[in-house]
Amino acid sequence: MQNQSVIERSKEAQKAQTIKVKPKWRMTVLHILYYAIMVAFLVFFMLPFWGTIMTSFKSNAEVMTSTPIAPPTVWTLEGYASALEELGQPLLTSLLITLFGAAGSVFLGSICAYALSKFKFRFNNLLFIGLVAATYLPFQAILIPLVRTMESLNLYDNVWGLVLVHMVFGMPMCTVMMRGYYADVPDALIRQAMIDGNGTWQIYRKIVLPNTKIATVTVFVFQCTSIWNEMLFALVLGGYDSKPATIALNELAGTMAAEFNVQMAGSLILALPVLILYIFMGKYLISGQMSGAVTAS
Amino acid sequence: MASISIKNMNISYNKGKSYVLKDMNLEIKDGEFCVFLGPSGCGKSTAMYSVAGLLHPTQGEIYFGDTLMTAVNEKGKDKVFIPPQERNIAMVFQEYALYPNMTVRKNLSFALETKKAPKAEIEKRVTAMSKMLGLDELLDRKPAQLSGGQRQRVALGRALVRDPQVFLLDEPLGNLDAKLRDQVRYELKKIQTQLGITTVYVTHDQTEAMTMADHIVLLNGGNIMQEGTPDDLYNRPNCMFVASFVGTPQINMINCKVEKGPNGLLFVSPEMILDVPSDIEESVNNYVGREVVLGLRPSELLMVPDGKGQINGDVESVEPLGDGFIVYFNVNGKMIVSKIAGGNTKIGNKLSVNIEPGKMHVFDAQTEKRIN
Repeated sequence: MQNQSVIERSKEAQKAQTIKVKPKWRMTVLHILYYAIMVAFLVFFMLPFWGTIMTSFKSNAEVMTSTPIAPPTVWTLEGYASALEELGQPLLTSLLITLFGAAGSVFLGSICAYALSKFKFRFNNLLFIGLVAATYLPFQAILIPLVRTMESLNLYDNVWGLVLVHMVFGMPMCTVMMRGYYADVPDALIRQAMIDGNGTWQIYRKIVLPNTKIATVTVFVFQCTSIWNEMLFALVLGGYDSKPATIALNELAGTMAAEFNVQMAGSLILALPVLILYIFMGKYLISGQMSGAVTAS
Repeated sequence: MASISIKNMNISYNKGKSYVLKDMNLEIKDGEFCVFLGPSGCGKSTAMYSVAGLLHPTQGEIYFGDTLMTAVNEKGKDKVFIPPQERNIAMVFQEYALYPNMTVRKNLSFALETKKAPKAEIEKRVTAMSKMLGLDELLDRKPAQLSGGQRQRVALGRALVRDPQVFLLDEPLGNLDAKLRDQVRYELKKIQTQLGITTVYVTHDQTEAMTMADHIVLLNGGNIMQEGTPDDLYNRPNCMFVASFVGTPQINMINCKVEKGPNGLLFVSPEMILDVPSDIEESVNNYVGREVVLGLRPSELLMVPDGKGQINGDVESVEPLGDGFIVYFNVNGKMIVSKIAGGNTKIGNKLSVNIEPGKMHVFDAQTEKRIN
């Protein structure tokens, strides 16, 4: 009797000392649950994309008779051909607006960020707060004065008008993003470059820019994506001649009959450049977004 | 090369409410190795940045030779300000500030390229400098691929390759380990002597200052406490701060009173009584009955046979240095430090020391200024 109680007590002591490990079967069930949730989310988010791809390769007749997510019985590029016919010129316009608009806003933002992060002058912080506020400005609020200004500058229905608008309205966001990166450039580098005989512009060009390449690429990709996908300015300021691809895509919906295969092909064509940009610049984007998270040694 | 003159320079960051540097006047001779020495926050780097043109003083003038580089009027507006890039100076920062995007070769040649020097000349100078500093093998590496010592040498080389009229170094050895620091210190002094460039060197390390400088400027709280040769500062400190700051281990400070004894004047403290040496009797005469502070350098206390010295105490701690000892001994409750070259000293032993003749530093206890 006494022996038995001793054994029980020692078992209890062992139990207390043992670190509680979840049983294997519980781990497996939890894993299955995690994966099931992830797969459900994946399907939920990818299904429309899948449907878009499948539909884009169907003929118009097949679109009418099949479900959107079913693979085509006959794979055809007729949707792409029709979409490209409509989107050809607008895509070039979009490319022009995106490249020049992004380059311009990144350049302007970069110069402003350099000044704001590396020079001490009156109202420096106030200017920065103003720029941050500008990034929250709803574009709808300034549409009417903007249209009138562009008209008076003869830049309405003009590609360069849209480039200018994107440069100006993209600049605050670029400044805010780049100021953080430039603040990490050690002041000693700037001072050293001054001692080595360089003026403000040379320091920017030869020291600051080459050492913040990742920041520039990150902000440039961000701007490209925003401008490429932008629709409001494109709709209001781009007339017939300077119609960007986002507007042309919308027009693919047609007025009489909906050609879903053409619309889906157009959507994919429009999404492709942004996807390519992300695939090739992804590593820069991630390191760019992460830089500054920890103190540089 | 050029001499440097600083005249009536004030620097304030808060419109004159307080001053980082107060009425600084300084002459640095052509080709001189001048060290700005002082504790953190004393204004030594600020003074150097003003010489470099990286800072605008609130008042005062700075000349390189006869050329006015900075002149600020009483309202704090620049009358003359030559920007740093036009001063023909070279500078080495504590953090080296090597351009990370450039190779060692490019780092060395960058300033010359900016000045649009001929390519052959750049190549010649970079090759010569890289040979001099042992950088030939590293020319195609980026700064990230170099060790601390190598980076330091590149920073020095980059400054020297330009043949500047003034060479400014802001704690350049701060990031190096002790062994490398000694080596670079020697090399730096050798190069400076060879090239004869007027050099201003900022440090808080008094050993660096003592070993390298022709001229030390010791600053504290924005004021020059004393300037002169290392010998001046060590052997004739003009105040208690200078005496305490210069010298390792720190000088022993003993508060005492000057009193008349049967055979002459005496320094009387609660812990010990010392005879006033005849060579300083005249200076101390006016202080009879008044408080003074006696400064005794640890290296100037000479060990004598037990009980036969002016100062006697019990050894409480011994720090072996290899070629000698630092001995902490208790003299009636006052801890005295002595640096002894040889002998066999152990904790608990009695220690007797005499003061080396002519090496007693006496300060006014009120003003903290030197008396003798």
